[in-house]
Amino acid sequence: MAERIAVTFTLNGEKRSFQVPAGRRLLDLLRDDAGLTGTKEGCGAGECGACTVLLDGRPVTSCLVLAASVEGCEVVTVEGLGGAAGHLHPFQRALVDTGGVQCGFCTPGVAVTGAAIVALDVADPAEQARLLAGNLCRCTGYTKIFAALEAAREARHAK
Amino acid sequence: MPSKRPTARPVEGRRWKVEGPAPTQAVKSRESRVSASPHPAKPARPAPARTTDPGPRTPDPGLGPRTPDPGPLGGRHVRPDATSKVAGLTRYVGDLALPGMLHAALATSKVAAATIAGIDTSAAVAVPDVVSVLTAKDIPGQNLVGVIFTDQPLLVTDRVRMVGDRLAVVAARTPEAAWAAARAVTADLRPLSGVYDPVAAMAPGSPTVHESGNVFKTFRVIRGDLARARKAASVVVEAEYHVGGQDHAYLEPQGCLAIPEGQRITIVASCQCPFYIQHAVARVLGLSLAAVRVEQAPTGGGFGGKEDYPSEPAACAALLAWRTGRPVRLLYHRELDLQVSTKRHAAVVRHRWGADAKGKLCFAEVETIMDAGGYVGLSTVVAERANVSAIGPYDVPVVDVKTHVVYTNNLFGGAYRGFGAPQVTWAAEATLDKLARSLGLDPLEIRRRNVLDARKRVLCTGQKLPGPVLAGEVLERATALAGWEGFKARRPAGDDHLRRGIGVSLVLYGCSLHWGGQKLDRSSAVVILQPDGSVIVRVGLAEIGQGNLTAAQTIAAQALGVDPSMVQVWQPDTTTVGDSGPTVASRGAHMSGMAILDAVARLRTRLDPVAAELLECQPSEVELAGSFARVAGQAGRAVPISRVAAEMASRRIEAISTGWYHPPEREYDPRTGQGAAYEFYALACHVARVAVDPELGLVKVEEVSASHDVGRVIHRDALEGQIQGGIVQAMGWGVSEALPLKDGVLQNPSFTDYVIPTSADVPAIKIDILESDGPGGPYGAKGIGEPSFIPTASAIRNAVCDALGIDVDTLPLTPPTVVAALGDRHPHAWVLEVKR
Ligand code: FES
Ligand code: FES
Repeated sequence: MAERIAVTFTLNGEKRSFQVPAGRRLLDLLRDDAGLTGTKEGCGAGECGACTVLLDGRPVTSCLVLAASVEGCEVVTVEGLGGAAGHLHPFQRALVDTGGVQCGFCTPGVAVTGAAIVALDVADPAEQARLLAGNLCRCTGYTKIFAALEAAREARHAK
Repeated sequence: MPSKRPTARPVEGRRWKVEGPAPTQAVKSRESRVSASPHPAKPARPAPARTTDPGPRTPDPGLGPRTPDPGPLGGRHVRPDATSKVAGLTRYVGDLALPGMLHAALATSKVAAATIAGIDTSAAVAVPDVVSVLTAKDIPGQNLVGVIFTDQPLLVTDRVRMVGDRLAVVAARTPEAAWAAARAVTADLRPLSGVYDPVAAMAPGSPTVHESGNVFKTFRVIRGDLARARKAASVVVEAEYHVGGQDHAYLEPQGCLAIPEGQRITIVASCQCPFYIQHAVARVLGLSLAAVRVEQAPTGGGFGGKEDYPSEPAACAALLAWRTGRPVRLLYHRELDLQVSTKRHAAVVRHRWGADAKGKLCFAEVETIMDAGGYVGLSTVVAERANVSAIGPYDVPVVDVKTHVVYTNNLFGGAYRGFGAPQVTWAAEATLDKLARSLGLDPLEIRRRNVLDARKRVLCTGQKLPGPVLAGEVLERATALAGWEGFKARRPAGDDHLRRGIGVSLVLYGCSLHWGGQKLDRSSAVVILQPDGSVIVRVGLAEIGQGNLTAAQTIAAQALGVDPSMVQVWQPDTTTVGDSGPTVASRGAHMSGMAILDAVARLRTRLDPVAAELLECQPSEVELAGSFARVAGQAGRAVPISRVAAEMASRRIEAISTGWYHPPEREYDPRTGQGAAYEFYALACHVARVAVDPELGLVKVEEVSASHDVGRVIHRDALEGQIQGGIVQAMGWGVSEALPLKDGVLQNPSFTDYVIPTSADVPAIKIDILESDGPGGPYGAKGIGEPSFIPTASAIRNAVCDALGIDVDTLPLTPPTVVAALGDRHPHAWVLEVKR
């Protein structure tokens, strides 16, 4: 195997170091090396969004990110979205409450992107839908996911 | 296989009393909510009157409601699987790894038609980290897969019939090594002339895919005197529709894990039918059924694509595991999945339909040619459903339907949500609009004049529909919801260059399996009352996202009078329940629910006497509700169910119970298509409103209004989710999801080129739920998974044709298709004219 590269970054709030082959994808590091299997692979080509994680606060498709490139960055996966273990992000909570989860395979990616949309505080439904368009869901027809986005936004304003 | 046990038929008493003369009177629209907003109303407790005693053994219509607590039925409690899924904690098969586990890969044919002169695996074996490369000669049992007909080898030996035919399987220490080795397998393939058009495949002299000939089977429905009916018609429409296939595009690709254990093996698979896999693996490895344990992993979508197909990867992984003695995991990548997994059948549908001057249908002739691909798979059962669905919920006295299953060297036709019905529905609803146009009738009006109702309740199969027939009801409700009346007057014109249109479509959906699949139509459940009052439920039907765990939990909680949170439903496993057939045909909640009700009824033969002793009453007086066992009608005399459970445990009373259900035997003549094809039916109507860009041919679906007769709501969020998801998936089929082939090779095997709807494409969805009393499953509920899909694309097609004033008879309605259909009416047709 090719030579290994050391990479150190913040993963779900914790500083972690890994030795990775140069070609390793961030998705594989997360799933296989860090044991965080919440992030899913639906296409491996940047098309479906199931592998979405937050990289310095922005949603990215981790199947297209080289693991070695996240040196010094902050990465948040679906497991870390709610902060402490066992906590859910308000958008995750809203997905549960509105019934926006079916098979659940898109859900980790949807949760991550949705949390980023909620953070942007987008009010326009068409703009919300556009921002979510990188996350394919074959089950729900997206309607209840929209409801969850709205519920999470409202919860944010209620605070 | 008649069951000796009493089958669970709950609330029988409520059914007969609503057999009214007119559907409007029979409909109890107790909760016919019209939802225009994406925000569901907060959980509404269902009205107490809805839930009479759920106990399946004591219908007793005379006593009235015995249960003061309405229970969870029809509500919106949190899905049991939602929290772990949203937290990323649900473990799909790709998230499971075992020490020493190997990774599998498949060497598949890239051409569709060839003879095999030899397969060379030496280069594959030489790839570092490769542990095993196997071909057909390494199979210890039979080299055959296939649920109904075994025309398909697991690994091919002499002939390639479609792209994706497996030449060899590989196991390696890393997935990269496995796929590299699979690519290194070489085969000496001698090209054959293939056949890539099902119509051409039927012609004499066409290259044959199997020696038996290309037309595998033809199904018929014949009713009435066609020659006479033809004379009676004053208008006749002839048409040929080309309806494309569809990929399921479940977000989780196919995957499985095989774990050998001496002389037996466990398979964990993403699938809709663990029992099919059990049979396939036993056959391929030469094992008894009992030596093969199949556990359904949490499954990331199925839609039919994980009905029978998962048996193929599972048998491959099992073979490698068996030979290496190590756990083997096989995960498809997306490109392979799109290229080789089963598809909705592409079909050519030919029509000749006639109506009298008033628009009443006189006869309908339908010939459907279904492209099965290289093997028959489930094509015959798909064709059976297409065959009896070809006329829709319309009263047509004379019918002649032919449905052919035809081999080609194209993609593998298989199960997909709707199972042949969407294709023929698309054609039927198009023809109705054409007839309406020839007669100068509104599309709504021609449907009004032809739908089945309380007086005209005989299907094309001669089956008389029992109970209320709500075709007219859903038609009126969906069109009202969509604002049909006056749409044309209001039609926005000139404010932008888009053209607006509206279209309507109905569906009559036969719930559960066709007569031809009756022997698979049974279901098993196990209910275990724990000493703390919590409940374990096992069923044989799978959770694939549609909400089967939720439905089973709701039904068990309702029947036992406990809170849903006390009920844990675990994924199916062939060692815990009896073979319950596949999770298809909208039969999940129906079949698991009926088996659960039977199990609860039998548990209560032991529970009620213990409760009665504690309550100092007769066992027959015990009712279960609101987490208590109580004396019927006396809310004050109650003990917690947990106390009864503890008492049963301390007295060592058996607190585990099995349940079984199968629908009653039906009569049907496959030669004429006459008889009871299905036990009972669901009706739905969708209305689509579209905006079409006439220059680009781009279709934007703006709104879909759906009215569904669901019998009874089990879980409202899951129900709405099925309808919303069905509509959007059907919209993809109708307008954007094309499967272009070149010599049997799919040209767009990626999500970039195979275009499924994104969040930005979603129309506004309005839902109208109609509850009704009539034949149904548990508590009267009917399936929803497929009725939610079938009418959408045809409503969209009719709306596009309304907008443009033309006919588009090819699906999907992609921009090139729409532009081509516009022809001389395209805004820039003059440019082409000048060029010519
Ligand atoms: S797996 Fe990364 S976008 Fe699909
Ligand atoms: S819930 Fe299944 S893909 Fe979104």
